[in-house]
Amino acid sequence: MSFSFVFDSSGEIWLCVLVDVEPFSYFIFVCDTQRLVKMVKFTAEELRKIMDYKHNIRNMSVIAHVDHGKSTLTDSLVAAAGIIAQEVAGDVRMTDTRADEAERGITIKSTGISLYYEMTDEALKSYKGERQGNEYLINLIDSPGHVDFSSEVTAALRITDGALVVVDCVEGVCVQTETVLRQALGERIRPVLTVNKMDRCFLELQVDGEEAYQTFSRVIENANVIMATYEDPLLGDVMVYPEKGTVAFSAGLHGWAFTLTNFAKMYASKFGVDESKMMERLWGENFFDPATKKWTSKNTGSPTCKRGFVQFCYEPIKQIINTCMNDQKDKLWPMLKKLGVTIKSEEKDLMGKALMKRVMQTWLPASSALLEMMIFHLPSPSTAQRYRVENLYEGPLDDVYSTAIRNCDPDGPLMLYVSKMIPASDKGRFFAFGRVFAGKVSTGLKVRIMGPNYVPGEKKDLYVKSVQRTVIWMGKKQETVEDVPCGNTVALVGLDQYITKNATLTNEKEVDAHPIRAMKFSVSPVVRVAVQCKVASDLPKLVEGLKRLAKSDPMVVCTMEESGEHIVAGAGELHLEICLKDLQDDFMGGAEIIKSDPVVSFRETVLEKSSRTVMSKSPNKHNRLYMEARPLEEGLAEAIDDGRIGPRDDPKLRSKILSEEFGWDKDLAKKIWCFGPETTGPNMVVDMCKGVQYLNEIKDSVVAGFQWASKEGALAEENMRGICFEVCDVVLHADAIHRGGGQVIPTARRVIYASQITAKPRLLEPVYLVEIQAPEQALGGIYSVLNQKRGHVFEEMQRQGTPLYNIKAYLPVIESFGFSSTLRAATSGQAFPQCVFDHWDMMMSDPLEAGSQAAQLVADIRKRKGLKEQMTPLSEYEDKL
Amino acid sequence: MEFESRYEISRTAEFIRGGNFTKVALQFPDELLKDSVRVASALRNELRRLGGDGNVKDASLFVMADTAYGSCCVDEVGASHVGADCVVHYGHACLSPTTKLPAFFVFGKAPMSVSDCTKNLVDDAVTSGKPILVLFGLEYAHLIHNIREEVVAACESRPQLEIQFAEVLCSDMNPSNKQNTSDQGMVRASVLIDDKSFGKLAGNRGIGGLVWKLREGRKMEDHLLFWIGSDNSAFVNVVLTFNACEIVRYDAAENCMVTDFSQQKRILKRRYYLVEKAKDANIVGILVGTLGVAGYHHMINQMKELITAAGKKAYTLVMGRPNPAKLANFPECDIFIYVSCAQTALLDSKEYLSPVITPFEATLAFNRDSHWTGAYVMEFRDLINSSLAESRSHSKEARFSFLQGGYVEDFDTQENDKEEEEGALALANATEKALQLRDNANSLVKRTVKSGAEYLMTRSYQGLEIHNENSLPEPYLIGRSGRAAGYKDEKSEMGNF
Repeated sequence: MSFSFVFDSSGEIWLCVLVDVEPFSYFIFVCDTQRLVKMVKFTAEELRKIMDYKHNIRNMSVIAHVDHGKSTLTDSLVAAAGIIAQEVAGDVRMTDTRADEAERGITIKSTGISLYYEMTDEALKSYKGERQGNEYLINLIDSPGHVDFSSEVTAALRITDGALVVVDCVEGVCVQTETVLRQALGERIRPVLTVNKMDRCFLELQVDGEEAYQTFSRVIENANVIMATYEDPLLGDVMVYPEKGTVAFSAGLHGWAFTLTNFAKMYASKFGVDESKMMERLWGENFFDPATKKWTSKNTGSPTCKRGFVQFCYEPIKQIINTCMNDQKDKLWPMLKKLGVTIKSEEKDLMGKALMKRVMQTWLPASSALLEMMIFHLPSPSTAQRYRVENLYEGPLDDVYSTAIRNCDPDGPLMLYVSKMIPASDKGRFFAFGRVFAGKVSTGLKVRIMGPNYVPGEKKDLYVKSVQRTVIWMGKKQETVEDVPCGNTVALVGLDQYITKNATLTNEKEVDAHPIRAMKFSVSPVVRVAVQCKVASDLPKLVEGLKRLAKSDPMVVCTMEESGEHIVAGAGELHLEICLKDLQDDFMGGAEIIKSDPVVSFRETVLEKSSRTVMSKSPNKHNRLYMEARPLEEGLAEAIDDGRIGPRDDPKLRSKILSEEFGWDKDLAKKIWCFGPETTGPNMVVDMCKGVQYLNEIKDSVVAGFQWASKEGALAEENMRGICFEVCDVVLHADAIHRGGGQVIPTARRVIYASQITAKPRLLEPVYLVEIQAPEQALGGIYSVLNQKRGHVFEEMQRQGTPLYNIKAYLPVIESFGFSSTLRAATSGQAFPQCVFDHWDMMMSDPLEAGSQAAQLVADIRKRKGLKEQMTPLSEYEDKL
Repeated sequence: MEFESRYEISRTAEFIRGGNFTKVALQFPDELLKDSVRVASALRNELRRLGGDGNVKDASLFVMADTAYGSCCVDEVGASHVGADCVVHYGHACLSPTTKLPAFFVFGKAPMSVSDCTKNLVDDAVTSGKPILVLFGLEYAHLIHNIREEVVAACESRPQLEIQFAEVLCSDMNPSNKQNTSDQGMVRASVLIDDKSFGKLAGNRGIGGLVWKLREGRKMEDHLLFWIGSDNSAFVNVVLTFNACEIVRYDAAENCMVTDFSQQKRILKRRYYLVEKAKDANIVGILVGTLGVAGYHHMINQMKELITAAGKKAYTLVMGRPNPAKLANFPECDIFIYVSCAQTALLDSKEYLSPVITPFEATLAFNRDSHWTGAYVMEFRDLINSSLAESRSHSKEARFSFLQGGYVEDFDTQENDKEEEEGALALANATEKALQLRDNANSLVKRTVKSGAEYLMTRSYQGLEIHNENSLPEPYLIGRSGRAAGYKDEKSEMGNF
């Protein structure tokens, strides 16, 4: 059984319960909020028909900081239609389908819900864009707000065109709001904003109108500051304005919301101005004095003069709420009558909060305000793909595929992006979930699957397979359909063996198609645990489980240590916990696993230039390499990480960046031999030799030795970072046979280690940026916990107009385990931290000095890796003449 | 006299005399080389004494040292240089069956405190409660008889104790013997040679020259293994092969018990990692680590087939005993398979650019259907024809690489076959690709290469570079002089400091 909502032309809300009778057809029980009204046979074809109206589709995601009320708001759309009993609305989270989600009160996986919405001609009167009829299909994806799960958000953004940004009216724009918003704008997703938890203003904080206005406008301002940094001529102005209807005010918990459009409609006729004019008056520096009945752009100072927003929006709501809460029903009914709100007789007996909820839901239903905002202000696939094509398509922007995406052409070649794999009910299988950008995908269609490593013209990572079934996703229920046209989301059955995490699908014959660009994730998997099975013979199960886990979550990385231990890496402690739970319960059939304490990877770097030029001899003693190590200039390692500088650069461009930003000599910049580890890492080898014979002959060998050494540094075999190795001189045997790879590769490795050790080696540890919001009385606890965990606060800011403080601090990742719970304990649950990996921080203690903290750390890592606990001494690497 | 008993001069002489061998190669490991002359002369004297009647021609003795591969194996190639018709092997031996030549083994006799060992053994038997299987280093074989007697005496009061001793398989072997008698091929058959009591009966187990028979219904896992000897490759072999068993070691040299084998257990996990790593390899080097052990040729061919079937490229390399410098001359190989006797098979050191694995591990890695279960086979003879027969119909799902932490694409095997058919075009194809690769001379991006030729194409240095702009001969320059340890010009520099 599944459900959908119909808002009929009179504004009445219908609940449609879809009941399977036979494959491909439903009966719809149309109910009003209370009772069954009629029964309609609604077939899959009819449902499918709306999918063809590419102008009437809105694909959108709901994004926000954790606990700002996304899921609750999404629910309120459901609640308004009467799916959930009024009393529990706000407590049941329809989109949180997993038991652990409900338990923790957070969303872990993104879930989709499709809403069918029929607008009235009246309502669409002012809609300027293209449309086909009044029926709308809204595919809404609720995604997690906790930063550990932001990969889910990334996957959601890829397949949507618009985003509803939910911001808590008190807490304002938080770190995760910002991260996701930037990500959304990077994908050319158009945002609309809702200022949520309005109920707190009225009930909890009891702020007056002007103060509330200031808070709201600051929230909107903050969001706009982020959006303003994205100037994109194609996307146009992405900032949000209440007076343009792109900002809503909502109370998800109570199921009501409004945009200024609602009120403008109400007052326009009264003031005899058109709606858009009225909307402008309801926001910003527009004041109205009922005594004089005049609008001014400044507060005249008269006690009756109030801001438009306060006078016409805030105060009336406040009044209604207060009246309800005080059970002043005699006053209430006339007021409601004036507003044109009719309350059913049986609901008139409700009291207090329940009454208030019911009244507000009837007066300003969240669903209609929000859905209207989406329909009016978020782009249809056809509009959005016109400008998104540049971001999406890797190939030339004038070929047939990019044209088909641009025009959202259902008759063009198929272009489908699979953004995530969703575990199916039969264990071990997955649905490939994604969006059709061009053409149509149908059951039985032979598709060309281009994986993330596919290179056009090659056969790598390419399969041709048939789609077994095309399925559309309706909340918890999936329905098989014949085909799905472009602009819609779809789930495909039967391709899971050939798709690893994501892929681009096209028609079998379209051999020239380029893939759709891979998604970029904003978080990186920095927290790792080693897992092993309790029973040794379960190892095959573990291996299989890890493969499935890796497939189901785009962020998790399952690897193996050199010592043979299986490692699961995730974005944070919570993420890992969920992953391991999934691994054990879903992917390993409950076989028990043992996990180690979290393991943090370090990096090895150097503090200074090598104290002297070091030399190593080849095994045959006939070749000598002289090298020095030095730290890379500040910011250079990051530039390499970001890919601004890398092995594929144009040498001229590279030398320009290096000389202008990092003060390198122009000629030297041309002498970079390579980057490493993995040929792209943040270390390099630079040739400083002058007039050395055969040098180019051993270059490949030195590079091979460097790739090897930079992956496993001399201290604890961690990756190196930010080291520049300078080849100072080379003495080679005159016979090529005596200076081959066998002689030079091991020597290069040794001399690199020797130069690292002589350049004051240091460890780099990963550091989180922690953002904590808490009331003043919790600050003491936060500081003491941070101190105890080697964290340091670098910003403390009171949120204007609130008793809340925003604290930003750096916290070493290694200290972060259990940080959340310690913090909660120390602040009686008032502080909630969000950690994101921020940078690598050098540990000042000298790992070569016996007994130092770094030396201990090195010893621990070596022990865990099964290496000799003592570091290999310099004398093993350096040779004397 | 002590010397003669240690080197078993008289038994050796009897063996030579008995076989009517005329050219005898005496194979010494490096550590015993110092005694070789004395052994040879003692042996000659003994032979003369035995053949006093003068009818028989004197056997000529040759001392062989510096074995090309592990000194535990019989160096048949070395022996055939002098045309020897038998080999006497001194020192630690793996007792891998020989291909052609008969061999006689002298293990040497290491001293040990029998009473101490017995005491520990009995104590362990009492505490563990499990049946005990005693295994030992071959150098202690001469004392096992004594220990067994003492243990039997000690156990008389405690009949519930169950202590079983392994036995030495044989001290001489003759491959030609059994090839006449059995036509089942070389596998295992050589083990049968002259030991009548240990046939191919079920329940018979053996490792590194030791054999024993398990009781009906018993598995190896039920036993406590008691190893007498040092922590050498023979012991590691035992630990890995019987990794499910509880093992204790009595160190005879130190007179102490060792029960902590986390290091050895770690080796197993490390091998698991190497198997996973091998799965990512595209080019595989097969290192020939023996030219003596029976069946090596067969094994190499089997490995080649396996690698080709997995869509990878194999190269066979014969280079004597491998070392890091030798192997680094082949940087295009992602992994090496070392086909050698069980006790030299484990070559794991950080010094190697690419890891070296055993044929068993290669079988696990390159067979999509086989999984790491914990069972471990060191001797490649046990592997011959074992797994190749398994179904080739591997699933089409992309392979998950634990090294890269994601799914990776293997080259389709079908495609590979096709390419092989077009062998004539291979070079042309490679050249074509090379043209594409050179588009950015500065980028040294590591790509996946499928063959050595392709690897060479991606190198930045292709060979001699001819400078066209300057055709004049280079001016005459004086080069360095002196030795590589320090050339003359460098010496003078050193003097300045």
